[in-house]
Amino acid sequence: MMHTKPNIWVFGDYRNYFQNRVTLQLLSRAADLAPKMNASVGVVVLGSNINEYANEYIAHGAQKVYLIEHPSIANYRIETYTALIEGLVRKYKPEIFLVGATAFGRELAPRLAKRLRTGLTADCIRLDINAEGLLEQTAPSFGGNLLAKIVTPVSRPQMATVRPGSFQEIPHDSSRQGMVIYEPLPRKLPAERMRLVDYERKPQRGQRIEEAPVVVCGGRGMGSKNKFKKLFELAQLLGGEVGATRPVVYAGWADPDVLVGQAGKQIKPQVLFSFGISGAIQHTAGFNNAGFVIAVNKNPNATMMKIADVAIVADANQFCSALINELKKRIRNERR
Amino acid sequence: MDFNPTMKHNAVRKTVRKFAESELGPIAHEIDRDARFPVEVIEKMQPLNFFGLQVSREYGGAELDTTSYAVAIEEISRVCAGVGLCVTVHNSVGAFPIQRFGTPRQKERFLPLLASGKAIGAFCLTEANAGSDAGGVETTAVKDGDGYIINGTKIFVTNGGVCGTALIFAVTDPENPRKAASVFIVEKGTPGFSVGEIEDLCGMRSNPVSSLFFEDCRVPAENLLGREGDGIKIGLTALDTGRIGIAAQALGIAQGAFEASVKYSRERQQFRKPLASFQTIQNYLADMATEIDAARLLLYRACALKDSAKPFSAEAAMAKLYCSTTATRITNRAVQIHGGYGYSKEYDVERYFRDAKVTEIYEGTSEVQRMVISRAVLSKLT
Amino acid sequence: MVSELPWDAHTGTLKRELAEGMLNPACSHALEAALQVKEKHGGHITVMTMGPPMAEEVLREAIALGADRGILLTDPRMAGADTFVTSYILARAIEKMCPDFDLVFCGCHSSDSETAQVGPQLSEELNVPGAAYVEKLDLEGRTLRIRRLSDNFLETLEFELPGLVTLTTRHYAPRYVSLSGMQQAFEHGEVAVVQAADLKLDPEFTSRKNSPTRIMDVFAPVAQNKNLVMKGAPKKIVEELLEKFDDKIGGAIGKDLKQAT
Repeated sequence: MMHTKPNIWVFGDYRNYFQNRVTLQLLSRAADLAPKMNASVGVVVLGSNINEYANEYIAHGAQKVYLIEHPSIANYRIETYTALIEGLVRKYKPEIFLVGATAFGRELAPRLAKRLRTGLTADCIRLDINAEGLLEQTAPSFGGNLLAKIVTPVSRPQMATVRPGSFQEIPHDSSRQGMVIYEPLPRKLPAERMRLVDYERKPQRGQRIEEAPVVVCGGRGMGSKNKFKKLFELAQLLGGEVGATRPVVYAGWADPDVLVGQAGKQIKPQVLFSFGISGAIQHTAGFNNAGFVIAVNKNPNATMMKIADVAIVADANQFCSALINELKKRIRNERR
Repeated sequence: MDFNPTMKHNAVRKTVRKFAESELGPIAHEIDRDARFPVEVIEKMQPLNFFGLQVSREYGGAELDTTSYAVAIEEISRVCAGVGLCVTVHNSVGAFPIQRFGTPRQKERFLPLLASGKAIGAFCLTEANAGSDAGGVETTAVKDGDGYIINGTKIFVTNGGVCGTALIFAVTDPENPRKAASVFIVEKGTPGFSVGEIEDLCGMRSNPVSSLFFEDCRVPAENLLGREGDGIKIGLTALDTGRIGIAAQALGIAQGAFEASVKYSRERQQFRKPLASFQTIQNYLADMATEIDAARLLLYRACALKDSAKPFSAEAAMAKLYCSTTATRITNRAVQIHGGYGYSKEYDVERYFRDAKVTEIYEGTSEVQRMVISRAVLSKLT
Repeated sequence: MVSELPWDAHTGTLKRELAEGMLNPACSHALEAALQVKEKHGGHITVMTMGPPMAEEVLREAIALGADRGILLTDPRMAGADTFVTSYILARAIEKMCPDFDLVFCGCHSSDSETAQVGPQLSEELNVPGAAYVEKLDLEGRTLRIRRLSDNFLETLEFELPGLVTLTTRHYAPRYVSLSGMQQAFEHGEVAVVQAADLKLDPEFTSRKNSPTRIMDVFAPVAQNKNLVMKGAPKKIVEELLEKFDDKIGGAIGKDLKQAT
């Protein structure tokens, strides 16, 4: 059945929900864009025992939920999910299909785009509708030094994977209404060629840096691995996470999974502390939407010092120690 | 006349640069400060053929052409001149003379050890009374049965503190010292051969430079390189090649200091503008860029001549002379551009400044290079 | 854009990233994984890259590291491809040059556009099972077992060859290139050049025309202009900072930062 209104679809990536909120963020953006195209916002959810997600998504802005529910697809399986979504897309022909750039999303979206013979832009940080009514996808490009505006002029759906943290979710509102459309599991589904031998949830390393409200980033200006460690103490005091630049990761002062930047994590903290960082674009591309940036560097002319809200000209180490000492004295009460 | 580096040269440059920046970059400051020879990095360099750059493949070398060799030395020296010195001296005057003048047996005995870096090579010419005046050598090697007894002291031996083999320049005919000098291969552990204290030097401090003592040190006849009396010939040939290596080393130092100056000029602001917007600084940078380019071309020309088996002594001397004097000029200027910070050990340029100076001195001082060049000039018939 | 795949084999293909003529990090790790498989199980590694003629340099580098043969896909008609077209061209090249491939290795993403799309799209084109973001892999007979961390789930998957994997940079730290290897790679390394006509692509085909996405604009991210500069003794700056912005900072961390009176 063809819907007369165009559809903006979002992939319901519910694994790791509650921390992983990218689907909600995409629904929010889709809801912003929908009026410009007179479109409705839909979300695709596959799995088993997934009704709670359908309700969540409606409460966060989805107008339609396309649900395929079956015990055999309880776990995310790439080939099966690709085939199922391909079927739904061919049936309902959405104009736009957005996928959160989780690891799964980044595998799912290209396969889908290839099967549907359509274009896909990776890791978008902005989405708009341009004057021609096309989805304008802004993504980092050329090693992260630049941003590119990309469109898919002809093929449909226009597809994009989107970096978590790029958009703000619509607050939960249980009074919102939406429609759930139950789609059956097709009878002739090709078998998965990849066997799942083991599947275990890794214990979370505390909150993820992408979601942290406070991030303390350190660069080479910290001086040494031992001095860099002090940042962890500061982050703990602030209830935040430590991030690192590429040279620091290469030097072994920090793990690759806290690399902030084009090749690493995109962060969206309310407050970002930047210690001893020059501000190479590969790094700054990692926090386009940070709230309040405080940079500490001996060199007042470093790029990081120019883009920060507060630029402190001081030795990064000394300042970090002084800040830790003062915070220890002051931190007493919970505000909330 | 094609002035473009080949794809292979570019590939060699990137590969060596990547290694140097990853492995030597983080420790260059520390090993200079502590005068420490970085054994752990040397060990990583061994399987990558850094110690057999031009040694032939049958002995485990890389068999690189001379320009690639120069590029490799330059790239190491751009990050850490002390290690660059170790590698070039080992290759040019430690291993090369054996490759060139050795008997098949000597090559088999020594080249695989040297090419693999398991033994570091040194070349010993200089003595207390014989610097530029190589003919003033007093170390003696007296024939004794089927061997030679060596007596004497060699000073300022690069790699001296860690060498596995040393090529000793000694007088075999004391009656006729300026005619009958010979070269001997002496292995570490030979009784009578001992190593002195590591010198405390202004620059190249990560290189273990020391004196070598020979007290009734007996070496078998099969350790004589070439024939008795070949000393001068071997020495001069070795130094020609050595000059190319030192020129490359100096070029690397100059390049490193130059890049640091450009970066600093862009970042540092005074009078509300970056330094690079002032004409004085722009002029300095322009001169530095031009001199480095000229030095580079002189060096590669000498490399090309050597690889075409053409005479290259004078050209190698020009390259060494120009690269080394350029290095001292540029590093001096680099410190100046960095101002007070340039004088501080927090920045690298003062190390480049200290490292550069000796390139004008060892393996033939600038004055000796000029002797070689002027001789070539004046010996031309027209 | 250029992409690179290491390809193992019992014929592998490696594609490489051009960025400055060196293998990009993820592809280096993929090649290292392929080399380790070859060391353990034998096989033949083909390295493949798509790009301008100078991309040959990365093939030589791969051969210096131990790959057996390099294939350079180069043609003006291939330039400007998005991942959809890139994966299409690579698939056609693999079918032509390495029809009996067993395993394709890709870096999980290239260092220029970092889309991470070519690997999965290539496995679709070749119609073989493919797993992305692989951290460790083991081969037993014709069965490949891979381990990967995907969104906090540690997965162990198995599939029968032929297949495709994309490697993260977490394991398989790349070895350094030896200079002897480099010399020999340039001296007698086997590199074949393949053009659009060799792949029998449609005469009207150009990457730019056939790519479903189009880049409209490329620009630098905008930087803020005004900011507050603070100088002086660290202790004093800390006090001033916390006084001025205790709201912002305190709010973010959920604590009261006012100085004790």
